[in-house]
Amino acid sequence: MQETILHIDLTTGTARRERRPELFDRFLGGTTLGTELLWQYAPPEVDPLGEQSALIFVTGPFSSVFPVATKTVALFKSPLNGELGETHAGGRLAMALRDAAIDALVITGKSPSPTFLSIENHEVTFSSARTVWGQSALASERILREYAAPDGRKGSVVRIGPAGERLAPLACATVDGGRHFGRLGLGAVMGSKNLKAFLVSGTGGPPIIHRGEHRQVYDAIYDRVVASNDMKKYHDLGTAGNILPLNAIGGLPTRNFSQGFFEGAQALSGEAFAEHYLVQHMACAHCPCGCIHMAALREPFAPFHYRTTKIPYDYELIYALGTLLSLSSPPEVLSLVDVVEKEGWDAMGMGTALAWASEAFVSGVVGLRETEGLPLRFGDGGGYLQAMHRIRKGEGEFFRDLERGVAFCAAKYGGEAFAIHFGGVGAPGYLTGENALLTYLMGVRHSHLDDPGYGTDQKLLGKSLSLEEQVGAAVKDAQWRMVTNSLVTCLFARGVYDEEMVLAGLGALGLSWDGEKLKRMGEEALRRKYAYKIACGADPRRGKIPEKIFSGTTATGPVDRGRMELRRELYARMVGLPEEV
Amino acid sequence: MGRKVLRVIHRDRCIGCFSCMYACSRTFAGMATTNRAALRVRAYTGVEGAFSLRTCLRCPEPDCAAACPSGALKKVEGGGVRLDKERCLSCGACVQACVIRALQWNADDRRPIPCVHCGTCARYCPNGVLALEEEA
Repeated sequence: MQETILHIDLTTGTARRERRPELFDRFLGGTTLGTELLWQYAPPEVDPLGEQSALIFVTGPFSSVFPVATKTVALFKSPLNGELGETHAGGRLAMALRDAAIDALVITGKSPSPTFLSIENHEVTFSSARTVWGQSALASERILREYAAPDGRKGSVVRIGPAGERLAPLACATVDGGRHFGRLGLGAVMGSKNLKAFLVSGTGGPPIIHRGEHRQVYDAIYDRVVASNDMKKYHDLGTAGNILPLNAIGGLPTRNFSQGFFEGAQALSGEAFAEHYLVQHMACAHCPCGCIHMAALREPFAPFHYRTTKIPYDYELIYALGTLLSLSSPPEVLSLVDVVEKEGWDAMGMGTALAWASEAFVSGVVGLRETEGLPLRFGDGGGYLQAMHRIRKGEGEFFRDLERGVAFCAAKYGGEAFAIHFGGVGAPGYLTGENALLTYLMGVRHSHLDDPGYGTDQKLLGKSLSLEEQVGAAVKDAQWRMVTNSLVTCLFARGVYDEEMVLAGLGALGLSWDGEKLKRMGEEALRRKYAYKIACGADPRRGKIPEKIFSGTTATGPVDRGRMELRRELYARMVGLPEEV
Repeated sequence: MGRKVLRVIHRDRCIGCFSCMYACSRTFAGMATTNRAALRVRAYTGVEGAFSLRTCLRCPEPDCAAACPSGALKKVEGGGVRLDKERCLSCGACVQACVIRALQWNADDRRPIPCVHCGTCARYCPNGVLALEEEA
């Protein structure tokens, strides 16, 4: 039974524990409960980077208890787009929170000076982070893990890189090895609170009450994860395996969404990465799938001397820092990923900002005056690396602006038509068609993971579905994802955690839910999120589709304005958004 | 037929999912955690990470048992140890004596967690890192 919320107030340097079993009874955990806490602790009127804002981290009833329930949901008000901030990360955080018997963590206030927190069970220690301030996201983990756990304990380390310290809206928070609260600027919120990092560990763990029933469900899930095809692709090639299939149908965004076919796709494919660069798979705690793919980049730095860097890669990174920038050399892409990892940026946010900057440069919207002599050209990996270092060092106004994201830059410099963002968030990497675009536009996180839009587009290549069926599938699945994101299972395991499995799991934990009750909770959770967005002034019905999208094509053909509007209306009606005033 | 012993047969295939430790804690302590496991996957920091598995070797002359001042941790005929909980003083000398850091410690009841070499952990290893083998 989950019930414990740990409140940490950075202003006063105090922590208190609150038991709220009724909240977990009603909202399960994860995204649904987190949204309620968001309304309470970071209401729509709050300044995202102000002392009054809050960071909320929530696990769910399946966390640690069943395989692949590895995610922790974070909610906050986003400094990137000023509305609902939500991001999920794996790693060992969910495990550590459950070991510590913390079901939700609410961090408020602002520390007077750089601080990191060590949370062990319910004890919180506030320590000076002055010596860690300025350290990369990777170095910070090395330092803090050794400081906090010289005996090699396996807690979780959540930290920001220098980007978060600068309050960059594109700053993420990095969790353990290569996992991230990536999008919507959570790193800047941590930075605004002078919170460099928090470490979580615990000596306990949730008891399993009904051991026989639990084992039966556990084994069914485990065997499906390990032995069936449900998750095989995530383990084998990983999401990078999407490069070639998407390219084949014309859905791989290339050169700032100019087209869906990249001539260099073969070199960037999951197959090519696996053959030439993959050295290790890694997993989040309690995930036998292990989708984290590590590449090794071996580079000479002097005659007969080499440095070898291990760098995580996946589809999103290859898209954002590869095809979008017309880079087809894996070492160039990996070099950019490495800077992004160290600095603690959202990779997709940075990729879409650089892609906009390149088109702005090519089309004359900005020139060498703004870029202070540095040309930004598609395909120029060395140029992008220099640009990232300028952003990192804050050299020049234009480069400082780039880490505020594509929407900010286009509003300031121009080039709105080719600023590929939805609701202020740089677009995800699927140019499959109108369903994917609808997801970006209407999804609560403006993420490709909000609903199955890009999958629906690909299904349309083989069969026809009415608009109502297409949008209906998106909304229904978006509502169901509210349920699994409350448990909290990884979305890569969405094939495993169907309704039957979820109900079996809840039953084995002695939690009385039925399909109808879950469905209602999902529907209501989604509406609560839209209500928050609307209260922030971000009504998804008024979000814009970048003009450039209408001039090109997608895997399923050109995008039709009228049809997109119809889809949007259907989506709003099916979700049950309030009437527009 | 020889006795079974848990072995790390493919350390370099470990992905660090901790399914083995979860299985052990679940089976013997009825808890969904890694904290009650009789083995440890040690993860080295960060994305540069690698994993090292520490499992009981079923030593014929166990250092852990030799270090126990109360005789609670006893050598078993043929190798390995057994714990008599009532006699345990919670001093931790056994854990300190295990140089490879295989013997684990239950931080709540302050006693060691000796491995019984049942192979449950190996059943839940997705990559065949662990195996229960016949002792030669």
